Amino acid sequence: MAAPEVATSREAPPPPLDVQLPDLVPLSLFVALVVVALTLLILKFIQTRKSSRRAVLLVGLCDSGKTLMFARLLTANFQNTQTSITDNSGLYRVKNDKNSSVTLIDLPGHKSLRLQFLDRFKAAARAIVFVVDSVAFQREMKDVAEFLYQILTDSVVLKNAPPLLIACNKQDVTMAKSSKLIQQQLEKELNTLRVTRSAAPSTLDSSNSGSASQLGKKGKEFDFSQLPMKVDFMECSARGSKGEEGSGDIDDLEKWIAKIA
Amino acid sequence: MLDFFTIFSKGGLVLWCFQGVRGPAAACTAPVNALIRSVLLQERGGSNSFTHDALTLKYKLDNQFELVFVVGFQKILTLTYVDKLIDDVHKEFRDKYRNEFHQKGTLGLLNGTFDFKEDFLRLLREAEESSKIRAPTAMKTFEQSAKSQKTVKSMIETRGEKPKEKAKNKKNKGSKKEVSGAEVAAVPKAAPAVKEDLPVAAGDREELTKDEILQKKREEFFRKHQKGGEKSNKSPKPDTSKDKGKKPRVWDLGNSNAKVLDYSNSTTNGNTDTCSMEEFDQDMVLGDRDREPGRLRDLEYESEEETEEEEKVVQNSSSANVKKGGLGGMFGMLKGLVGSKSLTREDMDPVLEKMKDHLIAKNVAADIAVQLCESVAKKLEGKVMGTFTTVTSTVKQALQESLVQILQPQRRVDVLRDVMDAQRHRRPYVITFCGVNGVGKSTNLAKISFWLIENGFSVLIAACDTFRAGAVEQLRTHTRRLNALHPPENYSGRTMVQLYEKGYGKDAAGIAMEAISYARNQGFDVVLVDTAGRMQDNAPLMTALAKLIAVNAPDLVLFVGEALVGNEAVDQLVKFNKALADHSMAQTPRLIDGIVLTKFDTIDDKVGAAISMTYITSKPIVFVGTGQTYCDLRSLNAKAVVAALMKA
Repeated sequence: MAAPEVATSREAPPPPLDVQLPDLVPLSLFVALVVVALTLLILKFIQTRKSSRRAVLLVGLCDSGKTLMFARLLTANFQNTQTSITDNSGLYRVKNDKNSSVTLIDLPGHKSLRLQFLDRFKAAARAIVFVVDSVAFQREMKDVAEFLYQILTDSVVLKNAPPLLIACNKQDVTMAKSSKLIQQQLEKELNTLRVTRSAAPSTLDSSNSGSASQLGKKGKEFDFSQLPMKVDFMECSARGSKGEEGSGDIDDLEKWIAKIA
Repeated sequence: MLDFFTIFSKGGLVLWCFQGVRGPAAACTAPVNALIRSVLLQERGGSNSFTHDALTLKYKLDNQFELVFVVGFQKILTLTYVDKLIDDVHKEFRDKYRNEFHQKGTLGLLNGTFDFKEDFLRLLREAEESSKIRAPTAMKTFEQSAKSQKTVKSMIETRGEKPKEKAKNKKNKGSKKEVSGAEVAAVPKAAPAVKEDLPVAAGDREELTKDEILQKKREEFFRKHQKGGEKSNKSPKPDTSKDKGKKPRVWDLGNSNAKVLDYSNSTTNGNTDTCSMEEFDQDMVLGDRDREPGRLRDLEYESEEETEEEEKVVQNSSSANVKKGGLGGMFGMLKGLVGSKSLTREDMDPVLEKMKDHLIAKNVAADIAVQLCESVAKKLEGKVMGTFTTVTSTVKQALQESLVQILQPQRRVDVLRDVMDAQRHRRPYVITFCGVNGVGKSTNLAKISFWLIENGFSVLIAACDTFRAGAVEQLRTHTRRLNALHPPENYSGRTMVQLYEKGYGKDAAGIAMEAISYARNQGFDVVLVDTAGRMQDNAPLMTALAKLIAVNAPDLVLFVGEALVGNEAVDQLVKFNKALADHSMAQTPRLIDGIVLTKFDTIDDKVGAAISMTYITSKPIVFVGTGQTYCDLRSLNAKAVVAALMKA
């Protein structure tokens, strides 16, 4: 589309080179074509590089502390945050001897955005960190389980099977639930969700019967070990026990990322 | 005066925050989060202000650098300088930290130190100063506005019209000086008198044509005259008419008008006065125009001037914009095609217009299509387009994302999960169906009960439609059929569905209550309450519905709406929600929790109703009815609906 435009614009200025004009036009056309081809190649290259899966996704519900964790991982500083409207991404230097790096992507957790953004980035996910608010877990359990269910039954995620870390955040608060408890509750909840979801009325376009991807093993109580990916649970605190001045308690998380990178 | 001013990236990183009022550091977080969740994420970005508790928030988006500027102040204050302040801060902040945004991306945001306080305080001071300077002018315009003059003048005109008056006027002929002296005193008296005399006319005056106004006033005058005697009217009348004395009406009017203005306003509106005077003089000299048009023109004249001024303002702004946007024809074209450039409103407008028409053609309610496009425009304005993207594709992409966002439920919808929960607590799960007539409440209730039975839950149907003939029989037939499909033998002798009915003409709320207690005793898992269809304008019936819901506190209130509905959807949902809110005694009223979209098989790809309904209520579409049989119940797939919507 751009090629003829370029050609015409080149054509306009040269009054003195009357004789060479017929030579110039095909040349410029050729150059334009080459440029277009090159850009296409580069675009393709970028896309393929993206699909080599170098991203660690931070997902979770609203107010679970993803953005703060993102800031802590990248800068180790405390950061005030608001509800995210878009994703944040940054290059994270992994703390291991290989000195490699991954792209850290913090996805918005709001209900109307999270699936959209998950769709956008799931193919690039090398690992997924699912952040849970351990304080409000009891109240939000159904929502947490639902979102986790959506991630776990996603066909792309199932295919790539990136390692999953469930980070039980906000452990600095005294009322926070332990990771063990959260694991038990989630397994139980996912078990029920498996039943209700398969019984839900089919969606409008019956073409992609996505419900085919069954969570875990049939006929058995759900257990995280049944999943194709490796699932870890971890307690952490992005805010840290010393508040805004101190550092966060995310050493385990850093180690985990170093391991998978 | 300001409570806070905060600047954060769209990713949620707070870059800088100013707190005008002492308080906890997180004081601005909650209202801003509320703003984000209920305005920015709901595509309600049309207007730029939002009220949360006692605060008013105003915001501005910078789409180029993905920043959000939010200012919050007490709702009771009317701070005129806030808009200007936001704009100034926006410019200043962007210019100052341009490099941080450009070069380092998110890391720049994280590592950058945004020491903006000095600049902000300076800008705030400037803005406050400028508003103080402007304040007195505002006061002046109120006192001497064209409107107040009009009132006095028009009163005088009516008086002048009367034949009786003319006679009086002649009698009252006096020297002009006297009159003018008297008039100064008379005018203030006259004004209140008019207000008392013509309370109705005063309000209507501007809407009526001039002839009608005259007639109306004449009638009013006569009525007053006969009724109240001449006592009240006398004093203003002769005084005002005196000055008209020697000359025909029009002259009087012009004269008096000018004088009124001269005396009361002395300085400001002099221009208009002299203009009107000249006009009249000319008329008189030429004598080719009768008085009526002359007087009318006077009225028009002022209004014309006002509109002209407005137009000028508009033109100014638009021309400024054009100057900014226009970059020379061909270059602009090329740049638009290849180079990366930021979107302006002018670029988007034609595309948005097309999109709006497209949405309306797809049966999205007109208001909502407009609001959506407005919000998309706000979201895109200033955004830098990527290479090889056109405005159309960018706008289309953004609109598509917005639509998906709207259809994504804000609330978890998993009826089965909630029923299981209720079952564990040994209480029935109550679902109430409401909606206008003939949208398919009973039919879809039957479908849903079939679905629940399939999943092993026993259902009690409460026939609370005690109004329409055959409603109870319809449900009884459904019950019989459902029982035939799922005979008790399959469920160890338990009757899976039962009808609870009390005949016609009874109080629906009472029947529902009895049904629920019956279900609790008999161990039913779910109670489905069928209500009578009602039009949203029918106040008594809406009150009855609100009562039913307030008394029985159902777990789920489903609004049943047909997918065929167009603009009406807005009205229906708004009025249903309003009725429920108005008539509930509770602190947080019970509103519609979800939507059942019926007759979805009849609309092909005109799926706009789904958008309209979710946009208004921001509640999920729980079920979709797609046919006549018990199996024709679906759940909504946001992507499929949006795809159908965007299909050309």
